[in-house]
Amino acid sequence: MSLLWLRVAVFLYGAAALAVLPAALYERPRWRHIAIPATVSAVFFHFVSLAEMLNAAHHSLPVDTHETQTLLGLLFALAFLLVYWRYRTVSLGIVILPLCFLLGLVPAFHPGQEATTFPLLHTGWIFLHVVLLLAAYAALLLSLLASLMYLIQERRLKQKSPTLPWLPPLETTDQIALKSLLFGLPCMTAGLLIGSLIAQATVGASYFRDPKILLAFAMWLAYVAMIYIRRHSGLRGRRAVYLSSFVFLVVLTVWAANQFSAVHRFTAP
Amino acid sequence: MSDPVQTKPGSLVLLGINHNTAPIEVRERLAIPAGRLADATRTLVHQPGIREGLILSTCNRVELLTLQDDAESIRSQSKADLLRFLHEYFAVPTLDIQPHIYEFREREAVRHLFRVASSLDSMVVGEPQILGQVKESYTIAREVGAVSTHLESLLQRTFTVAKKVRSETQIGSSSVSIASVAVDLARKIFGSLQGKTVLLVGAGKMSELAARHLIQQGASSILVANRTTSRAEKLAAEFSSSNVYTEAISFDSLYEQADRADIVITSTGAPQKIFGRSHGQHFLHRRRNRPMFFIDIAVPRDVDPRMNEVEGCFVYDIDDLQQVASANLADRGREAQAAETIVSREVDKYQQRLQSRDAVPAIKALQQQAEQLRQAELARSQSKLAGLSPEQREAVDALTRALTAKLLHPQLTALRESTRTKDSD
Repeated sequence: MSLLWLRVAVFLYGAAALAVLPAALYERPRWRHIAIPATVSAVFFHFVSLAEMLNAAHHSLPVDTHETQTLLGLLFALAFLLVYWRYRTVSLGIVILPLCFLLGLVPAFHPGQEATTFPLLHTGWIFLHVVLLLAAYAALLLSLLASLMYLIQERRLKQKSPTLPWLPPLETTDQIALKSLLFGLPCMTAGLLIGSLIAQATVGASYFRDPKILLAFAMWLAYVAMIYIRRHSGLRGRRAVYLSSFVFLVVLTVWAANQFSAVHRFTAP
Repeated sequence: MSDPVQTKPGSLVLLGINHNTAPIEVRERLAIPAGRLADATRTLVHQPGIREGLILSTCNRVELLTLQDDAESIRSQSKADLLRFLHEYFAVPTLDIQPHIYEFREREAVRHLFRVASSLDSMVVGEPQILGQVKESYTIAREVGAVSTHLESLLQRTFTVAKKVRSETQIGSSSVSIASVAVDLARKIFGSLQGKTVLLVGAGKMSELAARHLIQQGASSILVANRTTSRAEKLAAEFSSSNVYTEAISFDSLYEQADRADIVITSTGAPQKIFGRSHGQHFLHRRRNRPMFFIDIAVPRDVDPRMNEVEGCFVYDIDDLQQVASANLADRGREAQAAETIVSREVDKYQQRLQSRDAVPAIKALQQQAEQLRQAELARSQSKLAGLSPEQREAVDALTRALTAKLLHPQLTALRESTRTKDSD
């Protein structure tokens, strides 16, 4: 049943991704009235599907890549709705909604078959650890997208070319970028802290010598440094994009390291 | 109020002058001040043969929209009557007006009205005021009882069409004046202008206008710098209100104070640049890179164009603003084509509705006549039907009804068609 709901959600994400194009690019408000309800419905079905999926698998957190992917998609969609609710802009949906569609597509039609024997899967703390870190990743990507939008609009204004009406004003994109980061920081901090406490209690100090774990702490430092620089020097435009891209690259490396780490993997070897 | 279906249709006539047909010298002689519009409308509908009427008077046009009696003799007289009204009411010789007058009837009058309200006939295509002006004229005409059934429905349709044109095209979305372009650009940078600070350097009509536009959009502080302090103070006082903080700053402290402003409008007569690239860097540093928008209306320019290279500084001179305005105007031209298509479609729809409405009285009369005949025939055969059970009576009744309807159907269709053909001829 969970697959059916996920497929419904994916279909709705697809519809929303298509509707958001005329809504944003051609400022057709009618399409906005399709894109937003479709996304809200997709989030609902996605949530139901995820809950059923995890319940059926008798564990409380996503354990394989597909389940994680689908949770990440859900968080992206929620982030998009949050930005829409706060700033009334659908421009981010041009990238985020197709991303939600793609993140849901593979799990909906080729669900993961991995079995797991990881003993901590049933604890709520692990669930929090995963959700918080994924939320931090989603916030970072959102910030990167907003910074890119800032850069494009800034270039148009500087070159005296006609501005793109579908892009929000510079100050709005800047706020989205900064507030996303400010939201992501506590998520990442709490996520890493919870993970560390669990690891300390179960595996011991050796856990913290794993390169993947060290990289995760380096990622946190980069995240903090980025926020510090952005807030204190008011960094915007090109340099803000470079900085966000660098941290995003670190995040991707940490994510990819899950495949190679000896102590931190999605599934049992 | 009489039933619209029962009222004789009448003839729709629109007579007017506008910026395309008459110079300002003529237009100003016919312009009606808002305070006199009700009286003028009342006088118009008291003219012989005029059943309903409305006067639209703006700085660019004066138009008389009337619904007149349908008789052929009156029809040929209608233009002369309206000209006489203009002559008598404004004391302007008919010969002075006649060469500039245009006249539209029926379908073309509807089209013209739709185009006017949709701002397709305006001097600046897409400007939003005209719809409000048409609505104002309508309200006044309604108050004096000059608009009832036919013009009421036409004007309601006009407002719907104008809204449709606004929502389905981008005809009014871009600014075409220098001041509004500057405001638009400021909104592209800052989003809402609530709480923003504007610095006026020098004094000029256009910079004042731009500042007023910015205040309307929410700018809350106006700083004025001028080489003549008294002039700066006077200007600051002019902008002062309960919502706007104003301050005159001395020209000597300009470079220390300028970073307080989000938007700087310069219009001095200085022969050399007032703000250079390094000033921009300095301001941005002090503002922690919060953007600044420089609107340079002065000729020669007050702001070094190289300041635009500083990240966070946006510099637009008068040519840049003019260029954006021209591009927006061209965009409006393209959107106007889409708007014309909507108007044509809506004129067709309106005419069709009108035509089917015209046929309704005849259709009703025919149906009534047929029903009377049916009832009479049933009554005549009552004795022969006396032996029938209630169900059988019901069946006979239904049968006669169906027969009547089927016999009438070709006639009714022909009637509708002939009304449509007659009207389109």
